Amino acid sequence: MGKVTGFVEYSREAPQRRPVAERVSDWFEVYQDFSEDKVRTQGARCMDCGVPFCHTGCPLNNIIPDWNDLVYRDRWRAAIRVLHATNNFPEFTGRICPAPCEAACVLGISEPPVTIKVIEKTIIEHAFSEGWIQPEPPARRTGKRVAVVGSGPAGLAAAQQLNRAGHSVTVFEKADRIGGLLRYGIPEFKMEKRVLDRRLKQMIAEGVEFRTNVHVGRTITGAALQKDFDAILLAGGAEQPRDLPVPGRELNGIHFAMEFLPQQNKVCEGDDVSGQILATGKSVVIIGGGDTGADCLGTSHRQKAASIHQFEIMPVPPNDRAPQTPWPLWPLQLRVESSHEEGGVREWSMATTSFTGDENGRVNKLHGIRVGPAPKFEPIPGTEFTLDAGLVLLAMGFTGPVQSGLIEQLGVALDARGNVATDSSYATNVPGVFAAGDLRRGQSLVVWAIAEGRRAAEGMHRHLVNRESPLAEDV
Amino acid sequence: MHFCLLIGYGASAVNPYLAIETLEDQAARGNLPAGMTFETALKNYKKAINKGLLKVFSKMGISTLQSYRGAQVFEAIGLSKALVDRYFTGTASRIEGVGLAVLAREAKMKHDYAAQPVSEADTELDVGGSYQYRVRGEYHLLNPGTVSKLQHAVRQESFQTFQEYSALVDSQSRELCTLRGLMQFKLGDKDQPVPIEEVEPAAEIVKRFATGAMSFGSISKEAHETLAIAMNRIGGKSNTGEGGEDEARFERDANGDWRRSAIKQVASARFGVTTNYLVNADELQIKIAQGAKPGEGGQLPGYKVDEVIARVRHSIAGVGLISPPPHHDIYSIEDLAQLIYDLKNVNPRARISVKLVAEVGVGTVAAGVAKAHADVVLISGHDGGTGASPLTSLKHAGIPWELGLAETQQVLVLNDLRSRVRVQTDGKLQTGRDVTIAALLGAEEFGFSTMPLVSMGCIMMRKCHLNTCPVGIATQDPALRAKFQGTPENVINFFFFIAEEVRQWMSKLGFRTMDEMIGRVDRIEMRHALDHWKARGLDFSSILYNPQVPRRVGRRCTMAQDHGLAEALDYKLIDHAKDALEQGAPVDFQLPIRNVHRTVGAMLSGEIARRYGSAGLPDDTIRFQFTGSAGQSFGAFLAKGVTLTLEGDANDYVGKGLSGGRLIVYPPRTSTFLPEENMLVGNVVLYGATSGEAFFNGMAGERFAVRNSGATAVVESVGDHGCEYMTKGLVVVLGRAGRNFAAGMNGGIAFVLDETGEFAGVLCNQASVDLEPVTDPADMQALENLISRHVEATASPRGKWILENWEEMLPKFVKVFPHEYKRVLGIPRYQPAKAEAAHPQPPQVVPAAASLKHQEAAHG
Repeated sequence: MGKVTGFVEYSREAPQRRPVAERVSDWFEVYQDFSEDKVRTQGARCMDCGVPFCHTGCPLNNIIPDWNDLVYRDRWRAAIRVLHATNNFPEFTGRICPAPCEAACVLGISEPPVTIKVIEKTIIEHAFSEGWIQPEPPARRTGKRVAVVGSGPAGLAAAQQLNRAGHSVTVFEKADRIGGLLRYGIPEFKMEKRVLDRRLKQMIAEGVEFRTNVHVGRTITGAALQKDFDAILLAGGAEQPRDLPVPGRELNGIHFAMEFLPQQNKVCEGDDVSGQILATGKSVVIIGGGDTGADCLGTSHRQKAASIHQFEIMPVPPNDRAPQTPWPLWPLQLRVESSHEEGGVREWSMATTSFTGDENGRVNKLHGIRVGPAPKFEPIPGTEFTLDAGLVLLAMGFTGPVQSGLIEQLGVALDARGNVATDSSYATNVPGVFAAGDLRRGQSLVVWAIAEGRRAAEGMHRHLVNRESPLAEDV
Repeated sequence: MHFCLLIGYGASAVNPYLAIETLEDQAARGNLPAGMTFETALKNYKKAINKGLLKVFSKMGISTLQSYRGAQVFEAIGLSKALVDRYFTGTASRIEGVGLAVLAREAKMKHDYAAQPVSEADTELDVGGSYQYRVRGEYHLLNPGTVSKLQHAVRQESFQTFQEYSALVDSQSRELCTLRGLMQFKLGDKDQPVPIEEVEPAAEIVKRFATGAMSFGSISKEAHETLAIAMNRIGGKSNTGEGGEDEARFERDANGDWRRSAIKQVASARFGVTTNYLVNADELQIKIAQGAKPGEGGQLPGYKVDEVIARVRHSIAGVGLISPPPHHDIYSIEDLAQLIYDLKNVNPRARISVKLVAEVGVGTVAAGVAKAHADVVLISGHDGGTGASPLTSLKHAGIPWELGLAETQQVLVLNDLRSRVRVQTDGKLQTGRDVTIAALLGAEEFGFSTMPLVSMGCIMMRKCHLNTCPVGIATQDPALRAKFQGTPENVINFFFFIAEEVRQWMSKLGFRTMDEMIGRVDRIEMRHALDHWKARGLDFSSILYNPQVPRRVGRRCTMAQDHGLAEALDYKLIDHAKDALEQGAPVDFQLPIRNVHRTVGAMLSGEIARRYGSAGLPDDTIRFQFTGSAGQSFGAFLAKGVTLTLEGDANDYVGKGLSGGRLIVYPPRTSTFLPEENMLVGNVVLYGATSGEAFFNGMAGERFAVRNSGATAVVESVGDHGCEYMTKGLVVVLGRAGRNFAAGMNGGIAFVLDETGEFAGVLCNQASVDLEPVTDPADMQALENLISRHVEATASPRGKWILENWEEMLPKFVKVFPHEYKRVLGIPRYQPAKAEAAHPQPPQVVPAAASLKHQEAAHG
């Protein structure tokens, strides 16, 4: 374990964000570097619990106590082996995971928890800088062909696992670049795309084939895929955004977040985007108080919006862990992301009743009212208001996968919530077709997507080699 | 474990070649700690194996490798009889289980796993998770899900959440974690369900619950007191453990709460077992062994022993405390009967319980315990709290309570002993279902330790031995103790939830009262659908056997034990001492004594403690002068203010647990033999004494002043194992001391007159003590004074002779000074100068004739 009394001796210390004025004028990641010595001290705070709640708090079941200890002992090479054993892409989760592990950390009962996330990130960055991250192509090929539809974190994790198990994997992506939401969704200031490219380089060297600009279900049919491949993984995400059906919704200047954010991603990649939706000089209203909303907020700051409001329909959460979400649950509490620090007005218990626009059909006003708590969101009379709104961004979550196209073509069954239904091996009702990620579990975290991709890969592998796991109990 | 098993089944040598090669490989890869070579690592490995072997031998009560090899001290669980008969002939295996085919298949599976690529690109070895929970490793009943659900339930007072917790535990049990998980209830239609309203109320059921023996010291003051308050509020019982109890807790608090533990444990170390401790109890529990670590006692590292703990345990702050494996006053069931009688005398109002561990043959032991007049027998299972156990005890030690309890119930019923003893069981009882099964198998009462701790915030760190418990339970660090958030309400909620679940099962099974349910093993059967491939060969018929006996033979406790207290001499003593007890007036009586008079003085001492607490009465208030031959346990637990003088001799256990009283024993004045060469008092004298004085003008038997933690004694010769495990106090031996003197002694001081040099040479066990000459003037003065008082009290001729030749005799005294004690006092270890021998003068024995002359003079 780390240091026996480490948690008593050392306090939590995490990387600082760069000064607001500096960071809003560029697109680089907001966090400052954090020395490895400091990380090792933070590793010493781990108590190596008999029942490590971080380990189950993490959807990937990362063996966190083990690598905390290895980092404390300066054994980085062993640390990356243990970390990679459960997580294909620690450089993604180390940046953009909200770290449910830290919320479940036992130290968190009475002290600030161990800085698991920064330790994770430091391990993988150390490994890359040492040149330890090399392609790991399979020793032999099984001759089985696998199609992965969707190149987000779920698809990538599954592809790497399946390829390393010896199957020939082709990843299909409808966009022009690989990465899904990692590429077009997560802003540059949260994860610079070089981080993604670095990993893709490894996967390509391992033998994974990537095909962009192929929209399976449109460009090619599901049936064609079934003919060419021994197994198919559906990992297309939950791309159906939740809409706001109020009067004036059809006005120009009202966009889904996922129309807005990817354009900036492209610009950051160096593309020209004609007619880019820009917050520059506008009164921006972001509807939705979650992570996507925060990403719109940070992007708007960097595009130099005139003013920004972010509205959330739920009441303001408490500053500390809410009593209804006791440790080790993911806490309901007020979170201040980097984007919130950078400015803008956050409002809670707000509902939009209508939009009105100018003579050109462009939105210029948002009309709203304050509401009571869930589930009724009862409007509070007398709290009606009107706000200038030159750009409205809808970031109210996603209702599930887009069903038209591939899902319909394959005849894949859905669950009650409209997600693709699978059994415990991630197999759908259609033989040879599996599903993973947001498309299966509904919108969720990157860490869940990676976990789903890995587990689906395991199910597919068993299916492909027609063999139970040798240690399965029910032989 | 591997080594122990192989040697236990007869191997003369074990070659761990893979382990050695692994070390070599690790060294080559540079994975060993900085600066460690392969050779050092191998040396350390061997040392660890050897220490582990020794630990296991000692647990089993075996002293040498020769005796251990081939001893087959094992019980198999889950192996078929055919397999055991063929390969492990003679080993008990009671529930059948897998045969060779399954073992082969399992071995092949492991081989396949290693040899064939599996789905994930495994780069690391399987995590295992044997000792610490890991998702892909071994199943643990206490995992993040169950721990947090239970904590949420007791904090939010939500029975619904508790049932979610129970469902997790009970369904996990069916994933083959426990034997009870393989059982199911027979919900026959003969016994119709009864409406839940007609079932005994939860408030009655919780009175059958006790918390386990966790000492103050192993857990914090806050945690210990919270448990006590909770159990006192609901009418259950909390347990001191073997660490004594602060007397401040004996009185109720202003708000009506009571921090007193109803059960006072009497374990092998007798830490803090004073008369006052014993009288402040509803139950006195003799711990023979712990289910979770049979054969071992508690071990409290020095850094957990602070001032308060040291005071309560009558030891020295900073000095580690080891609870020895055996009770030095129990080597047979008769010895146990004597201890039960001793305790019953001190506190006739308390019931006496004996804690045994589940193992094959425990039924026979339990029958002996019942015949020894215990009121309660506790069968402790292996699953229980093991946070601070050595790794060798966490696994492969002890067996499930289901087996031990079933055997105990069967043997007690078959011998018609069940009706006069209550049966309690413990060992990871987690849900109402567990309790219901235990009741049906024959338990009337139920002990819980881990789950109440979890209810108070324990998150199973398994760091109890490191003093770093982050939730303030298993720590004495004030900063960490401040983090303790548990409340009595948490614990109370847990017990009421359990009781409520028991009621639900009772309703389904058709029982209105717990009493109806005890021992109704006919209402349990093996699960029909045992579909796990490794569970198919199991056969529970030995657990589910229901002895056929006449109706008059009880299946649960219906009558009280006859402890035979009526004949105690102490009733007469208490009567004589009435003025002293009531008004503190001095009394002095002379009485004859015979060897049928056992435990003389204990009941009187109990009366004093009840009235005056540990302060007792002023010195010499009550004086009894006996003439004759005293029975066992003369002066046991003698309280302050009482002086017992005996002219004659005494049996074993004189001054056991001495608590401030004074004992003076000398041979008949008319005798003509040399006192220092004749046996005066028996074995195990002053065992567990906590304070007081004793002067013995003669020889004592073996195990003199073992676990002494504060008494002062002068004796003229002792047998083997004197002052073993002593933690405090002062012992003066004016003659020969036997072998193994001072073994495990880590506090207090002994002075031994070593005329021949034999003591310093071979007899004293110097593993934990230094032997020094007596040069400190304070020591010299104290020694001389003590011998003077000895002579004054007993007219010892030898003592007188020594004083008369003081200048000559003083250099022959050896001071026995424990290392640990020195460390705490900041005194460096003693380094005798090379040139100068410990005994510069040639051995010179006290001439017998001279001594005899003095004796003649003394008796005129």
